[in-house]
Amino acid sequence: MTHSEIFFLSAMGEWIRGPLAWAAFLICGAGIFIQYRRLLAMTRTQEPLQVIPLDEVQTRGSFADRLTGWLIFLRISILGHTPFMAGVSLIFHSGLMITPLFVLAHNELLDMAFGISFVSFSEAMTTKMTLLVVACGAFFFLRRIFVRRVRAITAPSDFVLLLIAVGPFLTGWLAHSHVLNYQLMIMLHILSAEIMLIMIPFSKFSHMIFFFVSRRLIAGEHGRITARRVWRYERLSNT
Amino acid sequence: MSEPTNLPVDPEPIREILKNHQQQIRLGLRMCAHCGLCADSCFLYRANDRAPEYMPSYKFLNSIGVLFKKKGKVGKPAVEEMGALVFENCVLCTRCYCPFGIDIPALITLGRRACRSQGVFRAYDK
Ligand code: HEM
Ligand code: HEM
Ligand code: SF4
Ligand code: SF4
Repeated sequence: MTHSEIFFLSAMGEWIRGPLAWAAFLICGAGIFIQYRRLLAMTRTQEPLQVIPLDEVQTRGSFADRLTGWLIFLRISILGHTPFMAGVSLIFHSGLMITPLFVLAHNELLDMAFGISFVSFSEAMTTKMTLLVVACGAFFFLRRIFVRRVRAITAPSDFVLLLIAVGPFLTGWLAHSHVLNYQLMIMLHILSAEIMLIMIPFSKFSHMIFFFVSRRLIAGEHGRITARRVWRYERLSNT
Repeated sequence: MSEPTNLPVDPEPIREILKNHQQQIRLGLRMCAHCGLCADSCFLYRANDRAPEYMPSYKFLNSIGVLFKKKGKVGKPAVEEMGALVFENCVLCTRCYCPFGIDIPALITLGRRACRSQGVFRAYDK
């Protein structure tokens, strides 16, 4: 490498570790907030139809009643009718959100930046969880290729986004295991993590926000019984 | 299906529908994870050897979804194929279940409207 190339790479490294990292967290946080507000703006509150008096809905039945209610809820949810896929998805999403909070290196970085840190999992534990997320990602990947109904609705962007979601885990693990060049891997890890964070509000990853808004706040068959919001756009026009 | 006509596609009414329901369509398309979990909730899908063309998300993605992405610029054969999807492969029973709560029947309805605006609709006397 020539001197100017080395200079260029290290300047880029500085930039990726510094301003871009801050920007990524900021864009992710602000983006989630803005998308949440947008969803609220697309809906309005409406008094629910009082078929069953609200206080009757809200009073809690006996333990057996509540248990039955939950079992019915689970039975008709994806956990009930597609248990394997739902299980893999649950592991994938939990790992995706919990693991990064407890990575020792992350907490050390937090400590250096703000003087705060969470508890950390042991490195062996982190590695297991990381590999679990990667394995679930691989399962989604294979499912997209080999399951006919999933293949029928798969767009190239689905593969790209799956890679973006798994990227930080793959590169984090490769760096930790000192595969190839550590410095390079860490740089790739930080870059892939930044891409993922920035994509959350602007891609299908924003289902993270939509999921809770639509299932908890918006009235509907599969939502919460006391949900009161309805879409505004349904009244827009008849054409 | 209705008799195939040789009239070209008139993009205006389609664009009108896309414009009036822009938010709803864009939201549905963005949120759909293309996961296929809605498939088994459709009785037509289960009754037709689990053919992907009967899957709820397939039906809205390949009708109103395609029209939205192409801004209504499609040929008549494409509209007729969409017509087959939204009229023949779905009865709008609203039983489809999406874990995110995407309103699939509402989107299929918009697909029907777009087809109807081009003279493509269900022929009940077939
Ligand atoms: C931009 C901010 C980030 C920085 C600066 C950063 C930095 C690091 C560093 C230095 C390591 C240590 C590697 C080693 O043990 O030698 C690491 C590991 C890891 N990172 Fe990140 N990271 C960031 C964001 C993320 C995000 C957003 C995720 C996931 C969503 C993530 C997931 C992981 C995982 C799972 C590991 C552990 C891999 C293992 O030990 O097997 N990181 N990160
Ligand atoms: C708490 C928030 C979230 C919830 C409740 C949630 C829920 C879901 C559900 C129900 C699916 C449908 C398919 C399946 O079950 O796998 C899904 C798919 C997916 N989610 Fe999430 N999600 C959340 C956050 C995220 C985030 C933050 C990311 C990425 C950064 C993400 C990435 C994905 C991906 C890549 C898929 C598609 C998997 C495939 O290719 O089939 N999710 N999510
Ligand atoms: S409509 Fe819902 S269940 Fe069906 S593929 Fe899209 S996200 Fe999955
Ligand atoms: S509304 Fe259409 S797609 Fe949904 S379950 Fe009924 S027939 Fe299937």
